[in-house]
Amino acid sequence: MHGVLSLPRKSSAAIGLDRIVMMGAVVSLVILVVLPIGSLLLGSVKSEGGLTLEFFREALSGRLYLQALLNSLILGSWTGLFSVVIGLPLAWAVSRTNVPGKPLIRMTASLAYLSPPFLTAIAFVNLFGPNAGLINKLTRDVLGLPWLTFDIFSMSGLVLVTVMHTFPFVFLLASGALQSVDASYEEAAQILGAGKWRTAFTITAPLVAPAILSGTLLAFVNSIALFGSQAIIGLPGRIVTLPTRIYALFDYPPEYGLASALSLVFVLITVVALFVQRSYLARRSFVTFGGKGSRPQLIDVGPGRWLLLGFAVVVFVVAIALPYASLIAVSLSKSWGLDFWKGLTLQNYKFVLFEYDVTRRAITNSLILATLAATLAVMLGAIIGWIDLRTTIPGRRLLDYAALIPLGLPGIVMAVALIQFWLAMPLALYGTLAILLLAYTGRYVPLGVRAANASLRQIDPSLEESARILGASWGLTMREVTLPLIRPGLFAGWLLVFVPAIQELSASILLFSSSSITLAVAVYNLYETGYTEPVAALAIINVVIIAAAIWLAGQLGGRDTQKVGYASA
Amino acid sequence: MAGVTIKGLSKTYGAASGVAAVSDLDLAIRDNQFVTLLGPSGCGKTTTLRLIAGYMAPDTGTIHVGERLVSSKGSVVPPEDRGMGMVFQNYAVWPHKTVFENVVFGLRVRKVPAAQARNLVEKTLALVGLSGYESRLPSELSGGQQQRVALARSLVVEPKILLLDEPLSNLDAKLRERMRIELKQLQRRTGITFIYVTHDQAEALALSDQIAVMHAGHLQQFGTPADVYGRPANRLVADFMGHVNFVTAKVVAANNATSTILVAGTLKAEVALPAGLKSGENVDVAIRPEDVILSGSAEGSPDRARGEVLEHTFLGNINEYFVKLTSGEQLRVQTHPKHQFKVGEAVLVALDTAHISIFAPSTTGTA
Repeated sequence: MHGVLSLPRKSSAAIGLDRIVMMGAVVSLVILVVLPIGSLLLGSVKSEGGLTLEFFREALSGRLYLQALLNSLILGSWTGLFSVVIGLPLAWAVSRTNVPGKPLIRMTASLAYLSPPFLTAIAFVNLFGPNAGLINKLTRDVLGLPWLTFDIFSMSGLVLVTVMHTFPFVFLLASGALQSVDASYEEAAQILGAGKWRTAFTITAPLVAPAILSGTLLAFVNSIALFGSQAIIGLPGRIVTLPTRIYALFDYPPEYGLASALSLVFVLITVVALFVQRSYLARRSFVTFGGKGSRPQLIDVGPGRWLLLGFAVVVFVVAIALPYASLIAVSLSKSWGLDFWKGLTLQNYKFVLFEYDVTRRAITNSLILATLAATLAVMLGAIIGWIDLRTTIPGRRLLDYAALIPLGLPGIVMAVALIQFWLAMPLALYGTLAILLLAYTGRYVPLGVRAANASLRQIDPSLEESARILGASWGLTMREVTLPLIRPGLFAGWLLVFVPAIQELSASILLFSSSSITLAVAVYNLYETGYTEPVAALAIINVVIIAAAIWLAGQLGGRDTQKVGYASA
Repeated sequence: MAGVTIKGLSKTYGAASGVAAVSDLDLAIRDNQFVTLLGPSGCGKTTTLRLIAGYMAPDTGTIHVGERLVSSKGSVVPPEDRGMGMVFQNYAVWPHKTVFENVVFGLRVRKVPAAQARNLVEKTLALVGLSGYESRLPSELSGGQQQRVALARSLVVEPKILLLDEPLSNLDAKLRERMRIELKQLQRRTGITFIYVTHDQAEALALSDQIAVMHAGHLQQFGTPADVYGRPANRLVADFMGHVNFVTAKVVAANNATSTILVAGTLKAEVALPAGLKSGENVDVAIRPEDVILSGSAEGSPDRARGEVLEHTFLGNINEYFVKLTSGEQLRVQTHPKHQFKVGEAVLVALDTAHISIFAPSTTGTA
């Protein structure tokens, strides 16, 4: 043989880089997720005298706790139902009809999803607060129609505000399914003599039903976990839910055991819903993605398309235009009221940006936290995804499941778990930015895993194998082949974490201290203390940061940011 | 039962591109026939089928089923009112319905009483060899079985016309061959008009009563398999129907039925010339590999050309050679497997003149 270039010899003793990286990921996941969950479980049954079921007994029989549980279930059910009522017609209109203004509908859904839900809640309080709400004032005092007033501090108010954030789940999953149903399924029914409606009900509807149900369950799970709107709308209306009840248990003296038990009840609901969603979708997923099946033809709905457009416009106005317009108006007014336009000012922005050091600190903290958490979650996700898809290490499925656990953890439960764990540790993390970073990274690791998984699945392993056979080490293969190929997906994943992290409230509310205060907590605290106008200014700043991040990621990543969001937050 | 008459049919996707998927197509499909639309992908065959089914409206032209006008510009009888059947390339067997529910669907639409419907479904499933599979879900069936479900679903409603869009292309070779035979028998037995789309010329030859060869939206030839293979209308058809050698030849003596041409400068052949060709003109000759006759150089004969074997491939049932003539032209030749020559061996070459096709050089085929 001649002409063979020899490969550099490797020292056989050294531990491979791949081992180190993988071990690091496993250890991180244990610290972020497994140990906190473990101490949550332990905390719920541990008392001074040993093990006890007292906390669970109290959580499942105390009137306060049962009421909170019931309210959460009522909220989740109505929200799920109305998410379908709003999301499904819009999805059908966009994917199957000749309705005009499709970009508007898609944009409405994206914006509704990306908007911080507690901001919508605050905006609706400004409009529909029973006494000071602008629209209520207008109808009662100016128009003299008191029966037209709407009290936002009620279950219907809470459902309204929550649905504005959750209907995009149904919209996205349903429109995706409606677009991916292979047209030949419907054409086959047609040629056998079935008309449009019969085809729609006997063929199309059963095919997309799993996706709709899945979206509904995601809407349910997400709605009951939102601390912000439930505190802002629910508490004044005396509607206490699980997150707000758990939050109250941390008033002095904190009742850790009861909070842990109640958290686990909460987790159980979420996990059952997610389990049903996953298993149902996995078993009955008929929708064929990709493929060369022809696209379904659009239905001409005639004058009905103006009706659909009208519906979409109403949703746009209620979910986007009204809250944002009112927030902007409030943020620019001296004093919010019917004659707010008489004293327009930038003073509120000046106050929150330059004068009030708490908000300035909060903005800096949130930017740091969101950036770090997004980066860590995506890195961790990439490694875990790679282990799951590319290795045969025993227990890799377990790792994958562990990384998905946080999906079933409402933010406030994550916070309770972290408190339980780190209070028992010699390391004083409570009240620092570090514990918030752990909370964010842990909460959003599933999004990182999912983004990495989706990208890795699209890359044939042979691309990596051909680098290895040419003599490239694991590290070199990752750097030269794998990472460049999955970069766009990781970018999307990064944004997927950054957006909810910059507006995170549910976990932060229990974990912050005055030095580690975050943007959303600052908004909430300002609101609680009654600073209506500066709150609006800070809220607008929050939204501007989110928009800037999406824009920046779009510039850098070059991929459509339309895909971002949704999956689950 | 009914035939399909297509007149002046055209369809262009996306006005901007301006490339017609189907262009000025005339086709008269008689009742009770197995007709294949054959051509490479993008030739317009599937578009034609979908126009016949009524999934789209033609830009120009008409489609009649029997005496009934079903498609014309701006007026299309919807698919559900055509009483046709269709088998899709991906089968389109509904994944959420059992085999029975799939097959009975068309009967339910036609409000056939339940007992009678059950009976019909069972009979049809027996016909396609799927008795006992009634309660299975499509995900529990193999590709070939799903294909039979699709077929049964279309047949049970006794359509006058059955449209099939490459229904065998997703099956493996063995199964494909068996289904081919079954389809042909089924058509004979039921008397339904089959309109079958495929890009596989062997499949078309094996199945059809008539083949419509299409290219770039235009019909190239419509005839029996023997016609299309043996007497191709132009170079495109000749080229598409299996292997063919294209060689230039010169007309030596033009005398209609028995003209003489000189192929590749060395091979004299007595042939029937297309009208209007004169002595001294050049023509294109299409020669199928099996119509070239090789013999050992010792056997010497004045009207045979000399050549040398360049390449030999043994294909089991045939031998394939590439032979270089003294004029420099190369011919693909197929012989009986026992008829063997060595690479480098000098051979004599003759043509089976009854089977060669002659085209005036200008007929490239986009008529």
